[in-house]
Amino acid sequence: MTDFLRRYFLFTVCLSFSVIVPLGCTKNESSDEFENYVHEPVKANIKGLDPATTGGDLYSAVAMGQIYEGLMQYSYLERPIKPEPSLADGMPVISKDLKTYEFKIKKGVLFHDDPCFRTSNGRGRELTADDFIFSWKRLADPANHSDGFWIFDGKVNGITEWRDAAVKRGAADYAKPIDGFEAVDKYTLKIHLKRPYPQLLYVLTMTPSYVLPHEAVETYGQELQNHPVGTGPYKFRSWTRNARLIYDKNPNYRNELYPSNGETQDKTEGRLDDAGKKLPLNDGVVFTEIIEDQPRFLNFRKGEFDWVEIPKDNFDSSVVNDELTAGFKDQGVVLNKSIDQDVTFDGFNMEDPVVGGAKGKYIRQAMTAAIDTENLIKKFYNGRAVSAQGPVPPSVVGYDPGRKNSLKTYDIGLAKTLLKKAGYPDGIGLPEIVYETPDGTTMRQMSEFFQQEMGRIGIKVRISMNTWPQFVDKIKNRKAQMFGLAWAADYPDAENFFQLFYGPNSSPGPNQSNYNNPEFNKLYDKVAVMADTPERNAIYHKMEDILVEDCPYIYDVHRKSFVLTNGWFKNYKRNLSLLNYVKYYRIDTQAKRKLRKKL
Amino acid sequence: MANAQQVVNISTVSQVPSAGLWMDAFRRLRKDRLAILCLAIISTYSLVALLAWLGVIASDYAAIGPDSYAAPSAKHFLGTDIFGRDVLLRTIQGTRIAISIGLVTSIIAIPIGVVLGAVAGYFGSFVDEVVVWFYTTVDSIPDLLKIIALSFVLGRGLFSVYISIGFTTWVGLCRLIRGEFLKHKERDYVHAASALGASHTRRMFVHILPNVFHIVLINFSLRFIIGIKTEVVLSYLGLGVEPGQPSWGVMIDDAKLELARGVWWQLVAATVAMFFLVLSFNIFTDALREALDPKLRNTK
Amino acid sequence: MLSYIIRRVLYVIPVLFGVTLITFVLFNLVGGNPVYQKLGKHGSEAEVRILSHEMGLDLPLAQQYLFFLKQCVTFDFGRSWSTNQQIGEMISNGIGPSLSLTVPAFVTSVLLSIVVSLALMFFRNTAIDRGIVVICLAGISISMLVYIIFFQYFLSYKAGIFPISGYDSGLVSRWRYLLLPGIIWIIVSLGADVLLYRTVMLDEVFQDYVRTARAKGLSEKFVLFKHVLKNAMIPIITNVVLEIPFLYTGSLLLENFFGIPGLGGMTVQALNNSDFPVIKAMTYIGSILYVGFNLISDICYAWVDPRVKLE
Repeated sequence: MTDFLRRYFLFTVCLSFSVIVPLGCTKNESSDEFENYVHEPVKANIKGLDPATTGGDLYSAVAMGQIYEGLMQYSYLERPIKPEPSLADGMPVISKDLKTYEFKIKKGVLFHDDPCFRTSNGRGRELTADDFIFSWKRLADPANHSDGFWIFDGKVNGITEWRDAAVKRGAADYAKPIDGFEAVDKYTLKIHLKRPYPQLLYVLTMTPSYVLPHEAVETYGQELQNHPVGTGPYKFRSWTRNARLIYDKNPNYRNELYPSNGETQDKTEGRLDDAGKKLPLNDGVVFTEIIEDQPRFLNFRKGEFDWVEIPKDNFDSSVVNDELTAGFKDQGVVLNKSIDQDVTFDGFNMEDPVVGGAKGKYIRQAMTAAIDTENLIKKFYNGRAVSAQGPVPPSVVGYDPGRKNSLKTYDIGLAKTLLKKAGYPDGIGLPEIVYETPDGTTMRQMSEFFQQEMGRIGIKVRISMNTWPQFVDKIKNRKAQMFGLAWAADYPDAENFFQLFYGPNSSPGPNQSNYNNPEFNKLYDKVAVMADTPERNAIYHKMEDILVEDCPYIYDVHRKSFVLTNGWFKNYKRNLSLLNYVKYYRIDTQAKRKLRKKL
Repeated sequence: MANAQQVVNISTVSQVPSAGLWMDAFRRLRKDRLAILCLAIISTYSLVALLAWLGVIASDYAAIGPDSYAAPSAKHFLGTDIFGRDVLLRTIQGTRIAISIGLVTSIIAIPIGVVLGAVAGYFGSFVDEVVVWFYTTVDSIPDLLKIIALSFVLGRGLFSVYISIGFTTWVGLCRLIRGEFLKHKERDYVHAASALGASHTRRMFVHILPNVFHIVLINFSLRFIIGIKTEVVLSYLGLGVEPGQPSWGVMIDDAKLELARGVWWQLVAATVAMFFLVLSFNIFTDALREALDPKLRNTK
Repeated sequence: MLSYIIRRVLYVIPVLFGVTLITFVLFNLVGGNPVYQKLGKHGSEAEVRILSHEMGLDLPLAQQYLFFLKQCVTFDFGRSWSTNQQIGEMISNGIGPSLSLTVPAFVTSVLLSIVVSLALMFFRNTAIDRGIVVICLAGISISMLVYIIFFQYFLSYKAGIFPISGYDSGLVSRWRYLLLPGIIWIIVSLGADVLLYRTVMLDEVFQDYVRTARAKGLSEKFVLFKHVLKNAMIPIITNVVLEIPFLYTGSLLLENFFGIPGLGGMTVQALNNSDFPVIKAMTYIGSILYVGFNLISDICYAWVDPRVKLE
């Protein structure tokens, strides 16, 4: 080759190497700065950080749960989880008629330092009762289209009227008071209800009820979702959308201590070692958004994340006979098991002429009997689930541990009999049923499984895959004949599951099957205002009986979570409804340095 | 008068490519052993696809079995997938889908490209402007967006894949055909045909088109490659065939989760099957190009 | 020449207009209604109506189209329907990562391809030539998805040479994460590029002037480099210029798998979320770039190659 060619080639090669080698060797400097930070993987993109305008997805809620706070929070260690005071100073005083709650607010709680506090040069201002009222008005403000308005709508005095007035006027009037929210003085807040609302303390732990300062809203407006300001243990540092969200410890966080009460296994597993220490126990948190299962799991194995849910395809190599495989144990990895308070199901549109209503009851029952739940659990959950006997999951108030659903016995004979009873012996004459499901490889595989199951008794199923908005759209518009979904408890009360079947909650509300049974509706109205008592439980059981008989959903499983945590990661304890957990985690930096070398 | 005209030898006027071009091409191809080998491979795949379509072979590809993720063995040559379905049978069905994509998208795209290109090149002026505007517009929209939008409208599934690929890949062919028609319409033989009273349509499709048909042939061959590779991406995005149907794209999509469990057979089966078919098409297309028209080597 | 340029520039307008029309028709008649997605689990009928009105979804189609047209002209695409961010900001955030991935990979791939093709000219008709051609053909017969799955598993996970996925916005630290995806990009495009450039150069090599040069006694290498390369550069550059517009979307697959927050990944997400404002913004910008670079390429070509007739 010519000199020049040779030189040119060499030049290109050298250039490439000079770029590749040093950069490939560049150490991840950032990891040293974040050594004492919690590294959380996030399975889906976080949408935004504004409690009023960001939709109700779990991942945004978790992100917000570390920055903001509400009046109440769930007990971290005690089970079943129960609401305890967070920003509230002690439990509220409840009136005899159960319609008035009086909260005292902790004194001296400061908002994060932020430029939006112009008058005090960026120093965070003290929290007052008015701040709660302001934050809650934002939920009712039609301009925010808040996903969380339901927590107060129809239950708090005057809030629906305030909102209707805003709609008519074209814009909300924040100067106008809401009867149901009264700031008696700077640190006292009263909530006046239309009727007893036993779930009030639950919803005051939830994302929509979080408090934020009006200065932040006035300064940032729509950009608040990228620039949150709250009272929480962490403050916002930076966010590279769809990649990484970083929070730093809030130096002005109020004096909150690690709990001293827990269950027996908390003591033995070391989760009470930090009792009484001031929170947060770490210096910050780095959320990394990774949608694909494999890269997320592999990153955990390399020590880049502190915990991970085991994807179904990695399960067999990680866990054998409910125990971690040796390789993991050597690296200090710990297996954490818990039952999630959720239910997965195949839903029917009760308004559909074929599968809905009284007419389709035997078809629905037949399909329930044809599901091989054990095989489903084996293939898709690696055995990490329990067959659901009804919609209500274990460890939720109102769960019926003795319930056995006679339809969920995987009895093909029974299924065929029921199908015959429905008028379609062996499926003859039954038109093809369309099953809607959201996109995703695993979703696709699960619906193929469903298709095969139904094929066994002669029912033809066509699978229709959708993007998430299309999927939601079809359900809300009542166009989905059958659909596969799951519901995770907003709070640990069976009522949260029963409201899925309450007539008035039909689409576009959460009653996605559009089930409307007057007898059930009456019972629901009754329990909606009852506190937790044996009588209420009895009615709960009766309601569940109706739902099992009518099966507007085929109740599949309640999932168990098997989470792996790295050896240096302390105090992990999972509950789907408890979102503000990062402050309790502790990183053993010594152990981290030692163990990471092994990975 | 009429008599005298009829005496003129039509064959010199019509200039349909005489045995010359095709015979020559065929002869050149025949000598290229590699190309013949590729043609044989392609034919084998097509035969397999046909047999699968007719249900003669691999008809029980959907049969679920008890051994989930079984490694290749005597019973299952290429192992099984999550539901115990035989991977070899799935690969064969995938062949059927791959070949059908090439065929059907050609049936859709080629007429569109040819007709529009011919009309544009031949008539020129306003018609040309409109067609060029149209395909420039269509072409400037990123391919993936077009395909995804169409799948939204048409729903998912193989049928929608056919149409979306067919309706988005005709532009290249159209451009080439238009260029050729622009050149040819000024040639003597066309003028002669027109003098003989041939209508526009006749001139376009009976006289000119056969002269540019080799472009169509090459494009047809290329289309298989594009179609097969696009289907893989579409399946990854969830826009491919219906769930339950195995295609190579679906198998590769499954594989991205399976590697973690050490299950490599679906990935290898689909990739290798696809590799040999696409490679054969690639080599054959090149050979075809060289044989048919050395000047065409410049164009994609 | 000038009138040619002016005509070509003016031509851009009807094309862009056509693009907005097609984009609007395609995406307005399809996809899920984003209203329900925004309202989450607990929406009511009244809410649905209010939000639909706010999003302008209850206006007649023609009016919605005119509004869209105005947005295109003013480059103000509003806010994303799924994340509420300013779209302009989203694009400027995403462009950095996308270009960081594609530009170096693209440049390297082009340079390497030219070098390899030139070398092949030198070795033409030898076994090396045929061998490389077959390797290239083999390379393009494998789907990019397979390369990604394969390399990520073996090089990132098993061998630990590259990080598995992720991204760091730091100017220096980001390259760690872009290496493997970049290398995959290069491998995938090398095949096609080498084949193309080789063909182009082969054409030149057989031309008369080359024979003349050789007859004059000039060395093969000199001939190759001075004449062939220079003339082959015209079609090569044309081709390169035409590929530039697609750099900005990054590679959808690579960004998705390796967690790079670029425009390609953003587009796919927007499609999955029926995020119409983002989709149309990306389509429109893509078209502008494509049309623009086409224009540049045409003008350069006309300027450089005197043989081209200016219609």
